[in-house]
Amino acid sequence: MRVSARRVLTGLLILAGLFTLTQFLRFCLPCRQPSQGAGEPVTVLVRDGWTVSSDVPMVFVGGVPRSGTTLMRAMLDAHPAVRCGEETRVVPRILGLKLGWAAEKEGVSTMVLDRAVTAFLLQIIAGHGEPAPLLCNKDPFTLKSAKYLAHLFPNSKFLLMLRDGRAAVYSMISRRVTIGGFDLSSYRDCLAKWSRATQAMLTQCTQVGSKRCLAVRYERLVLHPRSTLQTVLKFLGLPWHEGVLHHEEAIGKPGGVSLSKTERSTDQVMRPVNLDALTRWVGHMPPDVMADMDAIAPMLQRLGYDPRANPPNYGQPDPQVLNNTQRMSMKGSQTER
Amino acid sequence: MRGQKVSILLGCALLCSASLLYLGLSGIDCPPPDHAHRHTWADAHLSSTNQSQASPIYYGEDTPLIFIGGFPRSGTTLMRAMLDAHNAVRCGEETRVIPRLLAMRASWSRSARERVRLDEAGVTDQVLDSAVRAFLLEVIIGHGEPAARLCNKDPFALKSLSYLARIFPQAKFVLMLRDGRATVHSMISRKVTISGFDLTSYRDCLTKWSRAVEGMYSQCQGAPEGSCLPVRYEQLVLHPEEEMRKLLSFLGLPWDPAVLHHEDLIGKAGGVSLSKVERSTDQVVNPVNTDALSKWVGHIPSDVLHEMDDIAPMLARLGYDPLANPPDYAWPDPIIPPNNYTLVRPDSPYQHLHPFVFLFLWTVSL
Repeated sequence: MRVSARRVLTGLLILAGLFTLTQFLRFCLPCRQPSQGAGEPVTVLVRDGWTVSSDVPMVFVGGVPRSGTTLMRAMLDAHPAVRCGEETRVVPRILGLKLGWAAEKEGVSTMVLDRAVTAFLLQIIAGHGEPAPLLCNKDPFTLKSAKYLAHLFPNSKFLLMLRDGRAAVYSMISRRVTIGGFDLSSYRDCLAKWSRATQAMLTQCTQVGSKRCLAVRYERLVLHPRSTLQTVLKFLGLPWHEGVLHHEEAIGKPGGVSLSKTERSTDQVMRPVNLDALTRWVGHMPPDVMADMDAIAPMLQRLGYDPRANPPNYGQPDPQVLNNTQRMSMKGSQTER
Repeated sequence: MRGQKVSILLGCALLCSASLLYLGLSGIDCPPPDHAHRHTWADAHLSSTNQSQASPIYYGEDTPLIFIGGFPRSGTTLMRAMLDAHNAVRCGEETRVIPRLLAMRASWSRSARERVRLDEAGVTDQVLDSAVRAFLLEVIIGHGEPAARLCNKDPFALKSLSYLARIFPQAKFVLMLRDGRATVHSMISRKVTISGFDLTSYRDCLTKWSRAVEGMYSQCQGAPEGSCLPVRYEQLVLHPEEEMRKLLSFLGLPWDPAVLHHEDLIGKAGGVSLSKVERSTDQVVNPVNTDALSKWVGHIPSDVLHEMDDIAPMLARLGYDPLANPPDYAWPDPIIPPNNYTLVRPDSPYQHLHPFVFLFLWTVSL
């Protein structure tokens, strides 16, 4: 009798000990915030009774600068259902700020911070242009945060512009387009950075998934605009509109393409789709860089651009594009890089 | 018998390590906010303000927010804790993100070239302001319990006081002021790091304190009439009831005796929520007291003491005698308005006499 009572007592004490331990642990171990994204969508009042919520369909266009991001957004802008508008410049900055905060222990919960960032982004993306059924934002480096944006905007899609790194780098160096982190005096540095940035964005794109992120080759876009845009519009769930093949006719028009005087691609994108920029880079790569090309920029090979071919065979152009290009050269318009 | 005990112990040890592993790996969900308490508090509050819970409160640019700020270590936490004790107000902990966003916004406006680029992109001041407003409101609203008057305390947010007054025209600002020597001593002795401040040098910290306070103070004075109230820490701890009555009247809030006993409401629903990581938490759990008033005396290097007025001109401007160690805080000198600042102390009887009158009197007396 005594033995069993003692046993029972010991058993109870052990249970009590375990209970206290779990409560203590509960207090000590960091607790997990309830699942983010739970809760209502963020809604903002943009202006004049126009409200926008974070669950609206949205498309983010991006990629390493000089990869045809402006051309893509201009062609989309020519579609009556889409409005991208100019680079906002501030969207990537707030994303960068948020990234910096995530590492620290801040005073606000992640959920509240996410909602605040969403509200900010909505105001900028919606507010800097006209309303449209499909809102769009083009700030090249936003695709480095595609996964985060996909979480903030559950009905968003992403278009990642990819291009032969040699062409992109030649463009930024010859046009002196300052890009944070890229040393414009060195092809080697820029190519390496291009490779790393492309890899990061491609990883994000893959993680977001093929239903929400589509990678588009610049070369394919300018060689075969019709079929490429058909793929893009189908991906976005939009009906075909012939206007996307003639974006240059919609520039400055209401519901059309709004260009910024200070953006570096404006002068190029004012012209119809053409082949001028495809192979301009050939002959401009320093020989030592060309020799080490695959080691410097491994993403070239990964994307299917032969690092030793100068240039690779990008493909044969559609007749319309060839036409545009020939018209341009006949008009005697200045060849720009 | 012994074998059984051993196996029981072993079993317990295994169970313990298993639960430790499980809890550590999977993480525990944070306990949901105390709904029972919140309802009673919310119901009591709503009935007292005759509001129906059905209609959602819309927060826009007319939200009558309260912004508390000032140089760190100037009593900002005490102030917000006392206001948190008021049944209609909720401030909550420092958000830390608000000042950073405001600083970023300020940097975009400073560069003329950037302003042009942003305008060209359709990202006008109006669009930016709407975005900043939306961000701030989401943070302030989501940061804690609902309340009739929402409040935010991030000391350096008031470096953008004028901007906040512009984007929230109904907002009120409470600028905490304190004797810079006490502030700097608190910073240095408690090792509270503030970027740009060299904690090994009283001279450096006092100089920078003066500059920072001047910026915030001039914005407070330049703010729309009746929107910014400077509050002196010393007056708050010496005469809390008087100061709080003045403050609540300024904020348009009814008197609530709870503000004088914020220490009773710590951790309670509708009360004062404190942060585990903030540097003033250990002080603000106590009732209002005067312990920290003159702790700085005797700690400031003598060379700094001698040049005090040159190092920190804001001391005299704010009515703290730079040569008194310490000044008599119970009888504060009035704050000298910027335009009339002279080296003569304002209560000097000779300041107001016109020199010719003086000459006349002298001639007459001869």
